[in-house]
Amino acid sequence: MEALQTLTVQDLWTLAPELALLVASVVLLVVEMFLPARVNRDLIGWLVMLSLAVSAALVGVHMADLQASGASAVSVLGGTYRVDDFANILKLVVLAASGLVVLLSLGSVRREDIPIRGDYYSLILPAALGAMIMASSAELITLYVGLELMSVTTYVLVAMRKSRPSSGEAAFKYLVSGGVASAFILYGMSLLYGATGTTGLGEIGAALSAGSDPFERLVNIGFYLMVAGFALKLALAPFHLWAADVYQGAPTPVTALLAVVTKGAAFAMAYRTLFNAMGQDERDLVLPALAVLAAIAMIVGTTGALRQSDTKRFLALSGVANAGILAIPLVLDLSHVHTSLFAEFVYYLIAYVFMNVGAFAVLAMVERAEGQTGLDAFAGLYHRAPWTAGAMTVLLCSLAGLPITGGFFGKLLILFGTVQTRAYWLAAILLATTVVSYYVYFRIIRQMYMRGGRTEEPIRVTTPAGIVIWICALASVALGVLPRPILSWIDAVFSLPADLMVR
Amino acid sequence: MTLLGSYLTLAAVLFCLGLYGVLTKRNAIVVLLSLELMLNAVNLNLIAFSKYGMIPSLTGHVFTLFTISVAAAEAAVGVAILIVFYRRRVTVNVDEFDELRR
Repeated sequence: MEALQTLTVQDLWTLAPELALLVASVVLLVVEMFLPARVNRDLIGWLVMLSLAVSAALVGVHMADLQASGASAVSVLGGTYRVDDFANILKLVVLAASGLVVLLSLGSVRREDIPIRGDYYSLILPAALGAMIMASSAELITLYVGLELMSVTTYVLVAMRKSRPSSGEAAFKYLVSGGVASAFILYGMSLLYGATGTTGLGEIGAALSAGSDPFERLVNIGFYLMVAGFALKLALAPFHLWAADVYQGAPTPVTALLAVVTKGAAFAMAYRTLFNAMGQDERDLVLPALAVLAAIAMIVGTTGALRQSDTKRFLALSGVANAGILAIPLVLDLSHVHTSLFAEFVYYLIAYVFMNVGAFAVLAMVERAEGQTGLDAFAGLYHRAPWTAGAMTVLLCSLAGLPITGGFFGKLLILFGTVQTRAYWLAAILLATTVVSYYVYFRIIRQMYMRGGRTEEPIRVTTPAGIVIWICALASVALGVLPRPILSWIDAVFSLPADLMVR
Repeated sequence: MTLLGSYLTLAAVLFCLGLYGVLTKRNAIVVLLSLELMLNAVNLNLIAFSKYGMIPSLTGHVFTLFTISVAAAEAAVGVAILIVFYRRRVTVNVDEFDELRR
């Protein structure tokens, strides 16, 4: 038994990015309560942006410190919380994505849609905080608390459009599927705890690698249950049925948040848990199941998107296919020499964040003008807002994976990974679904350029949303033109054994 | 060990009953109750392992406390969402949650 540890100032400094968000969210909720009604609630939104920026700056300082000191990680709170480069990179992605979502909300949310906008903005902070805790936790209880902090907050965010019954319906569906997912993950965790007597990821991994385990079946069942729970959270087919409904019912910026932040955090959780807690026997037995799920997700997501006539449902199914692609580096065989899997994953995740948030930003603008989110709302967009249509074309090309975009290089890197580790069947499915996805995404491009719109009236793009759209479009191109600097940065910062493994 | 086995069996039965309830029940409140049943099966597992497991430890108790409080928060949010929905549609029948299709 360890001696009782006290929280030192050094520990608080290590936790500073999280604490900044925590303090900001509590303070802003109280400030919102006492702010006179005549003050525009967008003020809260800008303050939320500020606190996200502060937190991101603190993460950056930690990364620099970590590089300078040469240590691989800083552990606090009795080894349950771990600040390493894996966590820091994913935290930066989460914070950037949340920032883009808040900026998009500032430009697209109307008072009649979401009457309580102050609360809406300040609730994005705990969601980002939960995602950061998930990226950093080295222990099952911490992981679970982070997961639920993020999930419960997003349930509320989905229900924010109180005037429409579809919002409440989406929130209820999300709550039930999310609750079932956490129940599965928890049940798996309880079996792991029972077999090893500990909740630390590193200790579980060490105990399972040691061999001669009397609870071997229990452990395998536990991992299968956790994989099912992760698949529900990640919307991997066949656990994806909630995604289309929830995405459609939620306010559009919240949909973007669900598509990038919760998915990114769920991937952080899956990578951290499955890499650390599994011994080689478990990897051989359980990861093929996840590989099959990833393959089904790519196929079902792509073919399902073909049949959708609502843009949000369309993007939900595209998210299912992309979740399958992002899961590929996780399931590759580690016994081959293949060390760049994290770089592949993060590169595609960054590309995915930009192209998805950008597409949702354009959708939010179209929805504002048209009052609906059908694919036909994009008809004639080229005549109504030529620049926005151009940006959307770039984003859709990136989603489809056409050359000189971030999505292309992300898919290419993951494809190289599958070939290097001789997972040829995954490579084949990835290629085939990519080819089909060209047709899928060109459905929107066809609407924008070749169909006449209901009116020729120009669509007004608000300044914050315009900034989001152009940041995302330019970032997608930049990721495609200059993949080298980003990849070499990730490779320089991250090394698999030192940064992901809790040892 | 036999006692551990019986507790684990009971927890597994509870978990399956909860899952069955979530998937089949029409009343949204009962769906939420079934969800709680699944989470409580986990609690039973954790407590059984921390008392009768191979390596008994307090961690299971701590985990249970966290699970109980988080599940309470989740249930509260669930009921709140249901009230928001009920104000618009005046139904808690899950079969009528059908506005989002296609």
